[in-house]
Amino acid sequence: MKKLFAIAIILASLTFALTACTESGDGNDNPGSNPDTNRNIASENPGTPAAPEPPDSGNNGGNETPVSNFDTSRNVTIIAREDGSGTKSAFMEIIGLKGKADPTDVIIQTGTAGVLTEVKGNPAAIAYESLGFTTDEVKILKVDGADATVANIKSGTYKISRPLSVVYKEATINDGINKAFFAFLQSSDAQEIISEEGYISIIDNADAYTIDGSLSGEIDISGSTSLQPLMIELASAFENLQPNVSVNVSGGGSGTGYKNANDDVSAFGMISENFNIDNAPLCTFYEVAKDGIAVIVNKSNPLDDISMEELKNIYDEDVTTTAKWSDLIK
Amino acid sequence: MIKTYHFIKNRDTVMHGIFMFCAVFSIIALGCICVFLFSTGIPFIGKVGITNFFGTRWHLNSEAYGILSMIVASLYVTALSTIIGVTTGLLTAISLYKFCPKKAVPSIRQLINLLAGIPSVIYGLFGLIIIVPFLRDEISPNGVGYGILAASLVLSIMILPTIVSVSLDALNAVPKSYYEGALALGATEEQSVFKVMLPAAKSGIFAAVVLSIGRAIGETMAVIMVIGGSPVMPKSLFQSVRTMTANIAMGANELTGDAETALIATGVVLFFFTLLLNISFSLLKREKGGGR
Repeated sequence: MKKLFAIAIILASLTFALTACTESGDGNDNPGSNPDTNRNIASENPGTPAAPEPPDSGNNGGNETPVSNFDTSRNVTIIAREDGSGTKSAFMEIIGLKGKADPTDVIIQTGTAGVLTEVKGNPAAIAYESLGFTTDEVKILKVDGADATVANIKSGTYKISRPLSVVYKEATINDGINKAFFAFLQSSDAQEIISEEGYISIIDNADAYTIDGSLSGEIDISGSTSLQPLMIELASAFENLQPNVSVNVSGGGSGTGYKNANDDVSAFGMISENFNIDNAPLCTFYEVAKDGIAVIVNKSNPLDDISMEELKNIYDEDVTTTAKWSDLIK
Repeated sequence: MIKTYHFIKNRDTVMHGIFMFCAVFSIIALGCICVFLFSTGIPFIGKVGITNFFGTRWHLNSEAYGILSMIVASLYVTALSTIIGVTTGLLTAISLYKFCPKKAVPSIRQLINLLAGIPSVIYGLFGLIIIVPFLRDEISPNGVGYGILAASLVLSIMILPTIVSVSLDALNAVPKSYYEGALALGATEEQSVFKVMLPAAKSGIFAAVVLSIGRAIGETMAVIMVIGGSPVMPKSLFQSVRTMTANIAMGANELTGDAETALIATGVVLFFFTLLLNISFSLLKREKGGGR
């Protein structure tokens, strides 16, 4: 009897623990948070500013802090990416901090998903993230008064954008499936997908891709996690056109992209910064698309607009005083 | 018959060779790792200079490869997690040894051992989703949840099963007569456990501590998710810092050239620390063996 009793107690506590976990898990889930359908509202509605959408606290369970309770006396929690990330080097270069280190109280996230999770859950966070990868679970700020939209990036009004490219060896695209995939990247089919996904296409009057039924094999692509989601879409479209070809897209970061293309590990390496020949001396590059870098904050944050100067002060290692949100929100 | 005999003898030799190869294989692997680490790492430390490498500034663009702050952070995290883990684990073991209903002991032990089977990335997720926001919103004075305390809490849960099972075994190995003798001399149950049994199981408990320190200092995935990652000298429990393991794992995929070599050199320092732990562990074991 005692044994049965002990087992019953253990089972009951386990059930209780599991229920508690499930409840808190539900609390973190955001209704309709499918990143594919929600990504990049900014580019889909170029006319309407996406960033200053009033956060509807009734509609998103992810926000523990209602908008009225935003505590402006909190320190700004600065989120950055790890060294070697293409998003980081591009962002730091654009805001005028090329080659500088992070401020001392920075929190480093090693992937786009980590950045989004942190900003979604932390009311005091600020971060930068690829616009094509930003979901509506976070708030996109205007920079110098300009919305992060496709039109503004193309016209240059929104200043923080960077090229997304593939790195390859000239010999790679001489023949076979790699040549076909490279042609596909330049085709109108690819340009359409690029715009649909919220990135900025490069070639305006491209020709459609011509299907070659004799092709079969595997293409390996790896590198920047910023280009990865777009490349996965492009790859699956290519696989639909060429059913005997399979394209493997893996991440690792821009550094991996250079390395793998240069060492013949992958046919194409993905990078999300200006091509630097020193990183892959045997390679050349092709710019697949442009991507804006969004400056994101938590949805409960009342801030709408940030200036390049303020961004620079936040991310500058030499500015040692920790910024408070009250300094930024006027 | 003679022919068959020779055939079998040859086959024996072949199989012995295969067994020998398997035995040597792990040693070869160890040798390769050592050669790889030291041949790349030590010349790099020489090249950038001891003062640079053991300095406090880590900034790849200006060729500053100082890992002192990461060594300090690693030691802090290891020490704090060991203190929390050993206290909890040891008290758990004592409770399981003496004060817990005998019938519940095997099931509790099994459940604690289950903790050892959980992959470290799950611990990391748990820390990231539960511990970090909790510390940030409820405890931290500066609104930062990441840091040494978060990492230590996660690690202390991870090392619990090691401490509990090893020190419980050590307690069980102490002859029952010690306990009965203490009772006979008029000591209470508590006194006999804490003043007689614990000191008698001392070397086994030390082994548990050393083992768990080894696990704590080398743990990467769970730590990287809750430590923050800023390469600065730790000044507070709630501050983004970076351990040696986090430094290696954060850069390993992305960095090339000198920066990558700097990671290998970090690995050399980490290897040195774990080697030190292993040596002290085997010394302890030898002492324990000699004492019996």
